[in-house]
Amino acid sequence: MRKLKIEIKKLSKNFEKRFVLKDLDLNIYESESLSIIGESGSGKSVLARCITGLTEFEKGKILTDDSKDVMRMSSKSLNEHISKFGILFQNSALLDSLSVEENLKFTDKNINLSEILNEINLTKKILKKFPSEISVGDQKRVGLARAILKEPEILILDEPTTGLDPLISNQINILIKNIVEKKKITAVTITHDMTSVNEYGEKVAFLRSGKIEWYGDAKKIYDTKNKNLKNFIDGAL
Amino acid sequence: MKFNLLVFQKVFRKIGSYVFNFFYDIGDVFFFFLLFIKNLLTDKFYPRLFFNQIVKIGFNSLPVVGLTAIFTGMVLALQSYTGFSRFSAESAIPNVVVLSITRELAPVLAGLMVAGRAGAAIAAEIGTMKVTEQIDALKTLSTNPFSYLVTPRVIAGIISLPFLVLIGDIIGVLGGYLICVNLLNFNPSVYLQNTYNFVEFIDIFSGLVKAAVFGFIITFIGCYFGFNTKGGAQGVGQSTTYSVVSSSILILLMNYIITSLFFKL
Repeated sequence: MRKLKIEIKKLSKNFEKRFVLKDLDLNIYESESLSIIGESGSGKSVLARCITGLTEFEKGKILTDDSKDVMRMSSKSLNEHISKFGILFQNSALLDSLSVEENLKFTDKNINLSEILNEINLTKKILKKFPSEISVGDQKRVGLARAILKEPEILILDEPTTGLDPLISNQINILIKNIVEKKKITAVTITHDMTSVNEYGEKVAFLRSGKIEWYGDAKKIYDTKNKNLKNFIDGAL
Repeated sequence: MKFNLLVFQKVFRKIGSYVFNFFYDIGDVFFFFLLFIKNLLTDKFYPRLFFNQIVKIGFNSLPVVGLTAIFTGMVLALQSYTGFSRFSAESAIPNVVVLSITRELAPVLAGLMVAGRAGAAIAAEIGTMKVTEQIDALKTLSTNPFSYLVTPRVIAGIISLPFLVLIGDIIGVLGGYLICVNLLNFNPSVYLQNTYNFVEFIDIFSGLVKAAVFGFIITFIGCYFGFNTKGGAQGVGQSTTYSVVSSSILILLMNYIITSLFFKL
């Protein structure tokens, strides 16, 4: 039995009287690769932001492995909680006033970049460039490298393949799969790309109307009798 | 009758929401100020970012402040001549030029110029970082975005502006000198001697105090609107506009308050 890493109980989040998440329950286990799927606007990214502590929520609890509630944390504990996560943001969120090298060495100046560049299939040539000078695919790779360099407890991947062509998407998926398998890291992927789910998802949570409508093994997702999930998969495929 | 009541209700609700929003915004700005003080006193300081901002806010604003100062000094000399020559008081021109430049024009014009240049840039840069999740990324990298983005900019603003104004003072007086000597046939050494004899320490000091306050206003307001940017490109544009308009109005308001304070001294 895997250790519980994050426990979400009755989580609700609204934006100006419109509920995005409503009484949502979800467990995330250690070294598990969980994919959260759902239509655009279903609240997937909001859920990830609530888990990381970057967005406040109205009701419910998000408990960490040491039984602390994210909502009741002091600002110091919340900062410590946030820094446990490595996040690949939807648009990579590289600091655009810094070069790629400075982005990668942001938390540790003495880090050796050769190994990580090798891991994300990039050459040293890219280091002196600024984020605006490299392709979106390379920005995702650098964002991923920055997220794993700090050896986080949980890796959050927010739409890792959005905006990429199928070839680059595939490369990024394989890259993430290798990293997740090699590092045995707890990974939460927010996506509507079923290729990502097939490639490295162990468990899948299908989010709809602010709730988890289906949860189970990634391998069993195609046997589902849930109509909405079926429609989503058909649409996604 | 019923219609009138509804209209009244609507009007009062609108006024009420404006009043509520006004006080909410004031509270929000005050809270932002407290956060700035707290982070300044307790959190890490980034000297490299501070020096970068000195260059961006101070050094890079030199051409625009210098040009504004020289033309203002020149215009001031010409306009004063028009007025003073009517009652043969041309000899007072150096005194008027130096007093107006040091006490009033150099700090206010430099403040407005820097608000349009650096203040807008600060709001746009931080606003873009906010909407592209770069500020969130900083948090996950164990970095306090406030200490990383706000503190160096505000401190750089407070320190840069007085230096800019001091240089603006010299260039402004030089502008008046050039016009008076080359166009109005003043004796160069008499002009300089008059200026030197007339100007007092308090004239320059009050201008520098104003400059430091304006430096704070410009950078603080730029950071505040940048941090509170919502939406995409439109939100960034809105923050930039609000930042320039708010800091310009606050500069003019604070200019009056500081002038009144020094007037009593």
